[in-house]
Amino acid sequence: MRAWLYLIAAAVAGAIVTTPALIVLILLGGSFDDALVAGLATLMIAAGIAVVSMRDIIRCGLAMIVCFLSLAGLYVSLGAPMVAAAQVIVYIGAISVLILFAIMLTQEKVGSARLTFQTQAAPAAIAAIVIAVLVSVAAFGTSWGEVSEHIRSATVYVAHALFQNYVLVLEAVGVLLLAAVIGGVFLAKREKGA
Amino acid sequence: MTVVARTWDRLTLPGKALFILIPLLGVLTLGLVITIALFGQQILDILIFNLPIVRFVFSVTILMLIFVPMAFVIIYMEMKIIALMNLRIGPDRVGPWGTLLSTVHGLKVLMKEDFTPGKADAVVFTWAPVVVFSTAVLSALVLPFAPGLYGQDMNIGLLYFFAVGGMTVVGLLMGGWSSFNKYSLIGGLRSAAQIVSYEIPLTLSVVGLVILAGTMSLNEIVIQQSRTGWFTDWFMFRQPLGFLIFAIAATAEANRTPFDLTEADSEIVAGFATEYSGMRFGFFFFAEYINVFIISAITVVLFMGGWNAPFPSPHISWIVDPGSLGLWLVILIAIVPVVGTLALAAPFYLFRSKTRWWVALILGFVLFNVIAGGIFSLWAYINFDWVAGLFWFVGKAFALVFLFVWMRGTLPRVRIDQLMGFAWKWLLPAALLNLFVTAAAVLVIDAMKAAPK
Repeated sequence: MRAWLYLIAAAVAGAIVTTPALIVLILLGGSFDDALVAGLATLMIAAGIAVVSMRDIIRCGLAMIVCFLSLAGLYVSLGAPMVAAAQVIVYIGAISVLILFAIMLTQEKVGSARLTFQTQAAPAAIAAIVIAVLVSVAAFGTSWGEVSEHIRSATVYVAHALFQNYVLVLEAVGVLLLAAVIGGVFLAKREKGA
Repeated sequence: MTVVARTWDRLTLPGKALFILIPLLGVLTLGLVITIALFGQQILDILIFNLPIVRFVFSVTILMLIFVPMAFVIIYMEMKIIALMNLRIGPDRVGPWGTLLSTVHGLKVLMKEDFTPGKADAVVFTWAPVVVFSTAVLSALVLPFAPGLYGQDMNIGLLYFFAVGGMTVVGLLMGGWSSFNKYSLIGGLRSAAQIVSYEIPLTLSVVGLVILAGTMSLNEIVIQQSRTGWFTDWFMFRQPLGFLIFAIAATAEANRTPFDLTEADSEIVAGFATEYSGMRFGFFFFAEYINVFIISAITVVLFMGGWNAPFPSPHISWIVDPGSLGLWLVILIAIVPVVGTLALAAPFYLFRSKTRWWVALILGFVLFNVIAGGIFSLWAYINFDWVAGLFWFVGKAFALVFLFVWMRGTLPRVRIDQLMGFAWKWLLPAALLNLFVTAAAVLVIDAMKAAPK
């Protein structure tokens, strides 16, 4: 019985995710790229909702990975594979795995592997609205046709930008990260010694 | 109860499934044929219009189809070679020299009960092997098997490989956590710690190579290693330290002995796979052996010249073009097998009086096929670049697979603290040293070239 429920739930979820893609595919005349973007965007939004609404924290983490993965897919379909690879390496390979690792190490499966997130709904709503406004201002304030001509996603151009134009900022970020690492080690050590 | 219902009840469960599936398959095939017949041109246009995505789907499918028999071969190699090293006989029952044993293993795994522990998280438990297997297949997408024979040629191929390969750990964590078992959880946590730690020296050890090659496209890296055609061009000889670090870290990434702490059976049963059975375990098992091939292949691509032969190939042009023979070709095809079989059978029949005539004929036929196959392979090797490339690539990769099996037969397992200490205290500084020395050398050489004489 349970297996059937899972199957039905999977079918419904699959239908929800693929429907926009199919609609786009039919409306925009058979371009798989558009359908891919629509499907990935739907998947990302669905996974994002799952992250904040599910009660099991490990599943939230896994849904976050799905969210990051579909974002990487969006980057690829928008012609920025370099950003997508960085997204996968940093956010999935390092950060999400670290989060999952920490949760599994500290939480007990039998006990409360559940946290209540919804205690800060009002500040979260304000933050979400502010971010939405900022993003829309940025999106509508840019003339995309002009920008897309200057996009150079090859690694050479990224390297030139990083190590010539923005080298000072890069070094500053490096020092910041180093300080964070040292601070983390200091905190961990002090707790052990005390 | 009608006759139909009684007959239906007598069917076993697989019988019922087949009874539904086979007509369904027939209807689907018929629909496909009709669709292609009616709208073939439109479908082809749409597919060509969306070539990148179609190519992606197609190459992933092909890779998945190739990798299952390849995993069979590697599993058999491992069983047989370790057995020979242990002075045992090893598999010898199914097929000639036991070669079909891994196929039987695969069927056995399919028929076993697919069990989910009572308090396990069933959804995550089911998806974990899927993640592990699909990351293994997806990471092979950028491997250049031969000139022109690759899934995708990305200019960030190396980065893509590390990104997708690093996602394996998510699957292992999922499997370890969702099994609701302490050993599984420990195995999953160990794998996460190990893979995250070893990913850093693994990636850093290749940066020196990327500086030398000036590109991250795996195709370009292979082409860079074929300047003179001799094996001295391989990056193995220009980046020996990087090669060593990469080989060690890749072994740890694939969870192979001596770094297979995630499934150390003397400590934690089978690690993350403890609670798995049936085909879900089978996917973990396949993924492990596919990963062995993939790390061998990526080592070959990066450090051992990819599909380049170790020596410059002599230009041979005396091979007759079969197309120019005309009618003679048909006559040759008709006559040569018969004459060859008879000619090869004759010595057996004439000089060993015990041999029956039909045994001699069978022997002659087999011998003829071996010789003809050899000649045909030689012809293909000389005439087609990709055959030669595939030959060398697969040969080198399987030599490395043999090395991994050898290591498993020889080396003892390390301890978990030794494993982590080795990654952070030895491999990481060594990789950094390799990077700095390479960068400095490149700068010095560039300066010397630019300096006025």
